[in-house]
Amino acid sequence: MSDPLELTEIPERTVTSAALPPDQRTPWHKVVHNDDVRRLFACVIGGFVLALMTGPEGDGINMLSGVDGALRFPHLGICLALTVGLWVLITVRHRFGERARTASARVSALPARLLPNAKFRGLALVALLALAIVYPAHLNGYWQSVLVQQVGIYVLLAIGLNVVVGYAGLLDLGYIAFFAIGAYSDAFWTGALPIHPPANLNPFWVIPIAIATAMLAGVILGVPTLRLRGDYLAIVTLGFGEIIQIVAINLQGVTGGAIGTGTIRHFALHVLGINYVWGLDPLPYYYLLLVFVVLALFAFHSLEHSRIGRAWAAIREDEIAAEASGINVLKYKVMAFAIGASTSGFAGTLVASQIRFFEPGDFTVQLSILILVLVIFGGMGSLPGAVVGAAVLEWLPQYLHVHPLFGFQQQDLYIYFGAILILMMIFRPEGLIPSRRRRIELGLAEHGIGTADAMTAGASPSEPAGLP
Amino acid sequence: MCFTQNFWSLLISGLADGFLYALIALGYTLVYGVLQLINFAHSEVFMSGGFAGYFVLQATLGSHTTSGWGSVGYVALGIAAGAAGGGVVAFLLERVAYRPLRRRKAPRLAFLISAIGASYFLYNIAGKEFGHNALEIPAPFTNLPWFSIFGAPVQAYYVVIAIAAISMLLLVDRVVSSTKLGKGIRAVAQDAETASLMGVNINRIISQTFVLGGLLGGAAGFLFGLNAGVVYTMGFTPALKAFTAAVLGGIGNVRGAMLGGLVLGIAENLPMGCVQTAWRDVIAYGILAIVLLFRPTGILGERLGRAA
Amino acid sequence: MHLTTKRLGVPFAAAVLGLASFGGAATAATHHAATKTYTIAYEGPLSGGNQQLGLNMAYSVQLAIQQANAGKTFGKLPFKLAYKAADDQGSATQSPTTAQSLIGDKSVIAVVGPAFSGATKAAEPLYHAAHLATVSPSATLPALADSGWNNFFRVVADDDAQGPADALYAAKKLHVKSVFAVDDASAYAVGLVDAFAKRAKQLGIKVTHQEAPGTTQCQAGNGNVQQYGALATDIVSSKANAVFYGGYYCDFALLAKAVRAAGFTGYLMSDDGSLDPHYVAQAGAAIADGTYLSCACTNLGNTPAAKAFSTGFRKLAGFPVGTYSAEAYDATNTVIAVLKKLGARATRPAVVAGLHKVIYTGLTKVVHFQPDGNIAGSSVYEYQVKGGKIVELGMVSKLVK
Repeated sequence: MSDPLELTEIPERTVTSAALPPDQRTPWHKVVHNDDVRRLFACVIGGFVLALMTGPEGDGINMLSGVDGALRFPHLGICLALTVGLWVLITVRHRFGERARTASARVSALPARLLPNAKFRGLALVALLALAIVYPAHLNGYWQSVLVQQVGIYVLLAIGLNVVVGYAGLLDLGYIAFFAIGAYSDAFWTGALPIHPPANLNPFWVIPIAIATAMLAGVILGVPTLRLRGDYLAIVTLGFGEIIQIVAINLQGVTGGAIGTGTIRHFALHVLGINYVWGLDPLPYYYLLLVFVVLALFAFHSLEHSRIGRAWAAIREDEIAAEASGINVLKYKVMAFAIGASTSGFAGTLVASQIRFFEPGDFTVQLSILILVLVIFGGMGSLPGAVVGAAVLEWLPQYLHVHPLFGFQQQDLYIYFGAILILMMIFRPEGLIPSRRRRIELGLAEHGIGTADAMTAGASPSEPAGLP
Repeated sequence: MCFTQNFWSLLISGLADGFLYALIALGYTLVYGVLQLINFAHSEVFMSGGFAGYFVLQATLGSHTTSGWGSVGYVALGIAAGAAGGGVVAFLLERVAYRPLRRRKAPRLAFLISAIGASYFLYNIAGKEFGHNALEIPAPFTNLPWFSIFGAPVQAYYVVIAIAAISMLLLVDRVVSSTKLGKGIRAVAQDAETASLMGVNINRIISQTFVLGGLLGGAAGFLFGLNAGVVYTMGFTPALKAFTAAVLGGIGNVRGAMLGGLVLGIAENLPMGCVQTAWRDVIAYGILAIVLLFRPTGILGERLGRAA
Repeated sequence: MHLTTKRLGVPFAAAVLGLASFGGAATAATHHAATKTYTIAYEGPLSGGNQQLGLNMAYSVQLAIQQANAGKTFGKLPFKLAYKAADDQGSATQSPTTAQSLIGDKSVIAVVGPAFSGATKAAEPLYHAAHLATVSPSATLPALADSGWNNFFRVVADDDAQGPADALYAAKKLHVKSVFAVDDASAYAVGLVDAFAKRAKQLGIKVTHQEAPGTTQCQAGNGNVQQYGALATDIVSSKANAVFYGGYYCDFALLAKAVRAAGFTGYLMSDDGSLDPHYVAQAGAAIADGTYLSCACTNLGNTPAAKAFSTGFRKLAGFPVGTYSAEAYDATNTVIAVLKKLGARATRPAVVAGLHKVIYTGLTKVVHFQPDGNIAGSSVYEYQVKGGKIVELGMVSKLVK
């Protein structure tokens, strides 16, 4: 604990040993040496943890049977060899640091170089869109279903929540409630609930109604609660999510209760002589979803770069300053909230219509947290990030179900999920694909200027640093 | 009518719940005070305490029965074990899921995700190693109505919770208000940068704050498990409620967490004579929302530094 | 516009990269073997909150297949059997995708599951369209049999059989005058307790009904353990002389402890979800003693087949037999019995047809399906906890005479 760099909160990069008092100055090689030892220690511990993760299951009777089985020689040895090998690699990389670092920087700059100008990027975009249209038709039913129910829906949910969390900086932990509202609106207007609607609607026209209902719910919840800041908002929205689920379970006469809804009708379109019914086949739903995802991406992207988007950025970065410069903070916050809510509501409608059945147990708090994880994992405030984050994290478990790599067992899924989240945040806290603006904000924060996000409750730590 | 019917019984169970919430809520509030972060993995600190208490009592008491001072001794042993388990896990948690991120000056939401990741990891690995069924902690006492207040029976378990929790809460209040550690915590909570310039070792203070919260959370885990048994998912709801309690009282405020815990415990029990059990959480969150609308920073306001 | 295209390029690149890897997955699924191999799949929760119930069943399916392949249960078979597990997390939204993965695998000849009623309701239209038989060990929602899916079967009695039998036993045998019925807000328990309450009222019992969501402690819902303290107060002050609980053993144990600690002295009754040795372990023998439990299944008993099952299960799973393990074992063996009859020329529709005719003597009952897929002759048996052991008392219809 005598490591001088541990003593202060001053960011490492800005500290040269000359800036420290002479008695705290340490020769550089000693610091590196300490770091190496610390990393080795971490890697050895990591080896034991890996052994536990991949080891056998406990039997629930002899409490230590699982631990005992995991820490046997060949298994533990392999795990330790893996992590210590990793340590060797890291150490070598640090010893011969600069060259490796520039190499890796060159690799990570590759995409930007491959897409040199806007025209080329436009072409690439069109090609990708074409691929996204053509390719899924060649997949089997399972992957098409994954593409709709896992990947597509969560991509939509993630880009919607990205508006709330990423753009406006509002921590919303009850996001799934709007999903539920959308789904229940669909069930209600197609006559699948115990209470009957004034008129059974053609299922396709349910979409705008469900979106409007979810948006309205967002506004109703948002107007009183968005005056709250940061973590207070988080807990109130979380409570709202819980309340919606409990109400859905308990109002048996209205929602069907825990048993769930009746059979919901598929979407159908009957206009201008076109008669089309979305059936059990996931592919038509995929295209419908694709249309909405593309529309949402365009809409949110142009919003981000509009007046509204700049207002959100101002609120996110410093709410008080934004208010002082004449931005109607509440109005813009409610707007972000309502946009997020309506996206979530649409996703709910689509799920309800494709599966034709759902139950209140589908709308847990854990799901709200999962969607937040997707957004931050991908890179907060970044549309590509939200899309890729959601696609990767939703697709990976499905892939592992089909291809159990290294003896992966389905019941261990969330152990790996947790471990990936921790490692990701340690090594890449800005997410997979951070937005440019966020990267600048983070860079500033790393040098002690600003706070990187507006999630701070009250005005507490925003004394900007006058540090070097 | 329905409100007065079982008033005293419900008040007593409400107080018992409230004491547990208060103990857990302190973990959230202390960490929030120094880092302005919600420690989402605190539920797993709570769980670890439950398992540590289970293991120690299983090893010492086993299938024997005990009574009188023996009961007191075993309960104290269990609490100590739970606290130790919670403290160790909280310490490791800070080291693995928080400190590397602080060193990189990661944004606050990154901490949230790493804490959620730690939570997923810990409870699922506990489920893998110790099975998915609840395990009974060997009972150091028989839980029957012991005496009554205004005709309402009081269980032995409630008495144990009340005595244990009150002594721990008083102890924590002393620690925060008048020890060197407490001063350090308050200094960091008020202004971390100035504190560090004044020679306060921020890393050490943060680590000790996690441990302090972990001790309380772990002890609460044991007390909870004494009645409900221990299982890998035990942390989720109690911790969510305790977090609500911490916000209700004013997050970052030590006495606020204690008060918030008690208020929440009582508030969600008293109306149970009138409404169905299933509406319990709706009442809890409804009260929270109403309180926050009128006092946006909780009942006692939010700063740890000003608590004592 | 340029800016727009630039920004949107990346997500599409990523999405398509993702799609490209789907393609690899799509082709790799099928494999050929020299001898004919049939896959019996299991669909149920393997991860997430309801993991334990799911694993109880998954290992049974795997065990039945292993034993059949080894020639222990059906003698020598003209084909090999393979096992495939598909995780639906017990969720209705995940279930259709899971079903698609099994339907898409041409080697899958029948499915044991889905385990949960909601998941069944969501996935069954797909299975139906693919003529793939599903035999559920645990989906008890009555409406599932009314939907016209000829490929749907279940080896458990539905809630409409069990609930009324419990009410009859309470009225005629225990002479209960007033009952406090609690359900755990799951689809299973709500249907069961409704059926119970309806029959109990007809029999002149005063019924108070409350919903207490299953707790996260028991991985069954979003309730919290503390709710049982206040609920116990309600129960004691209602002066009911019996508590009927619809739900699973873990929450029932918590409720039992709470009501006894609050001074309740009446009968404790519950359903097949509570018929599990863990109930006794978690509530403690002193509290559990005297509890009545019911099930539309007979005791495993001490037959050699039952013993082979429980020791085999323990060895394979690492933990002992639990709720619905035996039902899943019976469901799998019923499928194998049909396959044996069909020999090497089994097809999905042939299995469906075979299941409609099968009569197979399993561990829990003689499996024979009604045309709607429900099990035929579902007699309900009553059990009681005595001295820390669950003991069978007999068939309810005979006991109440």
